[in-house]
Amino acid sequence: MSQAADDRTESIRMIRDSAGAVAPRGGDTKRVRALRFQAPGFDRAVFHEMGELGWIGLAVPEEAGGSGLGMAEAVALAEEIGGGLAPEPLIPAMLSARLLAAAEDTALAQTLLAGQRVVLTAWQERPDTLEAHGTDDAPRVFVPMAGGADTFLLPVREADRIALLALPAAGADVTLEKTMDGGHVGTLRPSLAVAERVADDVGALLDLALDEAALTTSGAMLGLMERAFDLTLGYLRTRQQFGRIIGTFQSLQHRAADLKIHLALTRAAVEAAAAALDAGATGAARRAAVSKAKHRAAESGMLVLRQCIQLHGGIGYTDEYDVGLYLRRGMVIANQYGSATLHRRRFMALAPEDVE
Amino acid sequence: MVAITPNEPQDLNLLDDETFRTHVRRWIEANYPPDLRNPPKRLHWEENKPWYFMLAEKGWLCPGWPRQFGGLGLSPAKQIIFTEEIERHGCARTNDHGIVMVGPLLINHGTAEQQEYFLPKILSGEHIWCQGYSEPNAGSDLAALRTEAVLDGDHYVVNGQKIWTTLASDANWCFLLVRTDKAAKKQEGISFLLVDMATPGITVKPIINLEYHDEFCEVFFDNVRVPAKNLVGTPNRGWDMAKALLSFERIYLGSPRLSAYAFARLRQLAERMGVWEDAAFQETYGRLRLDLEDLKSLYGVFVEKLRRGETLGPDVSMLKIFQTELFQRITDTMLEIAGENAGLLEPMEGNRNLNPTGLYIQARPATIYGGSNEIQRNILSKNVLGLPG
Repeated sequence: MSQAADDRTESIRMIRDSAGAVAPRGGDTKRVRALRFQAPGFDRAVFHEMGELGWIGLAVPEEAGGSGLGMAEAVALAEEIGGGLAPEPLIPAMLSARLLAAAEDTALAQTLLAGQRVVLTAWQERPDTLEAHGTDDAPRVFVPMAGGADTFLLPVREADRIALLALPAAGADVTLEKTMDGGHVGTLRPSLAVAERVADDVGALLDLALDEAALTTSGAMLGLMERAFDLTLGYLRTRQQFGRIIGTFQSLQHRAADLKIHLALTRAAVEAAAAALDAGATGAARRAAVSKAKHRAAESGMLVLRQCIQLHGGIGYTDEYDVGLYLRRGMVIANQYGSATLHRRRFMALAPEDVE
Repeated sequence: MVAITPNEPQDLNLLDDETFRTHVRRWIEANYPPDLRNPPKRLHWEENKPWYFMLAEKGWLCPGWPRQFGGLGLSPAKQIIFTEEIERHGCARTNDHGIVMVGPLLINHGTAEQQEYFLPKILSGEHIWCQGYSEPNAGSDLAALRTEAVLDGDHYVVNGQKIWTTLASDANWCFLLVRTDKAAKKQEGISFLLVDMATPGITVKPIINLEYHDEFCEVFFDNVRVPAKNLVGTPNRGWDMAKALLSFERIYLGSPRLSAYAFARLRQLAERMGVWEDAAFQETYGRLRLDLEDLKSLYGVFVEKLRRGETLGPDVSMLKIFQTELFQRITDTMLEIAGENAGLLEPMEGNRNLNPTGLYIQARPATIYGGSNEIQRNILSKNVLGLPG
């Protein structure tokens, strides 16, 4: 391997190791369970720690106060944090950090990068889209963990550009709806009167950042799949019925083998997309790579997660047992930043076929 | 048979990858017989030998063999490019068992005498090899094979039967797995024998398959006397050698080329059948397309390992399973949209590219040969996932 590739492998390994601070491998789910269905649903101290570890600004250039790393690192981090079921809105914060890199005044960006201020971007106006329409004060929907925000970022269309406004969360009109995993999403009815302009045009940047969020979310799904599957394999190796370990039954072995294939396909698709973005893919090629990964993660992710419930039998249907936590988180993120169907259609529209 | 002096003297490893790729592509495009591109069936020796000899004369027949044995001695990375270009052009598979199996077997385990005698005859096309592995009662459970070789003086006497022997009717030599110790554990009593197909007592009977093709044969051995010096490596250690040789097969069977070929024909068929714009078809097509693209990504992961010189582990079975089942799903879809053409014996309108039934039938054995997909799943669950036996 080349020196550059070695360095890259090392930097990804370091990111994975550092993730252990928040989501240790083999750790229990006590913290995650305690935060479920509470306000704000995540731990601000952990969010702060994520900032201090440089994660919020992971993909933000160093000159803008970020860590200047690539998508390979972002995806590896999301895999660990997602697999650890951390409820902190890290991916939405990374999206905001990318947008704030375009801001003239760096104060807001710095408090976000440091994890001192939770800044969430209210970009979405309808379900299942990757497009920020930026319609003035139209309600912005499905803002993850909106109840814990200090500041909202609001993309607003002005003729041929998209300006970025910031508005304080205090006093904002926000309605919250609980999500399956114990968190929530918010609908923001923004008042432009209290909004402050932070950048004149983030249109192009927003497209890039939303694609990065879609890819990072695919990494988080991969993490969920891996951990749920490991838990399931452990169960298959120990649970006895009919006087035998159930993992000796061929029907279960073969299903596990199939799920392993879906895991491998997802990892291959996600890592190939991260590599394409890091290699500088632009335009349609960049979007197609992201869609290919997010389609696979959503589709194979949900397959693996629900089969993990089935392979556990009755105990998999109890709230007390952990495997259900993965499915419930999967249900929340599978369609975030675009469903499998959206990404399949986008891929088909973007990616030319090799003609033989 | 005239000895062939290859005309590719320089070390191709010295070229950079892209120059090498262009070099290979140009030569294939200029030389490959156009009527043999993407053959609908496995070709017999009589049909594929022009290509075999073309490769031999160029010195490209055995890209992976070391140069001292007459190969190209290509690095793993260069071999991958070479294979990609062969597949890209739709080149027919030759009678390649000598090249991919016997060569590596003898280079790794053969005596100097065996190497000197056999390897040049593979390079010259004088010896065409077949693989005597499966038996009627030892298919998926290959180690249960019972064809027996008993030492009698300086000869082994072979009795038994092989089946599914690919292109045995073309071959004049056979590398054979035989039982040499009936008392030992089943994997530990197997040896490799090299057998001249002209030896008295050998009968070859082609099997007509669902394609009405005679690719596979039964081979019967009735008191066949094989010189003891034709045993390869250590007696009773044949199973380990055979297993090592199969790693080639597992990555080969996981290559996306068959699925990609069928997928391109699916589009042509959909256009011809007038369903291309149909939303339901587009939905199915999109799913297959992404399955194919993600297969390519996963294949790339394994190819990258080979490129780095790593040996592939049992997880390569994932590729074989997904590739062959995708190939089948693509051809299932073909039948579904083909209307009553789904029952036709011949390609539609005499057009080889509109051949849903041919591809459908061809896709059937893919999940059976090379270790059935059920066996592959056993391998994954035991050797990759660590599930109990």
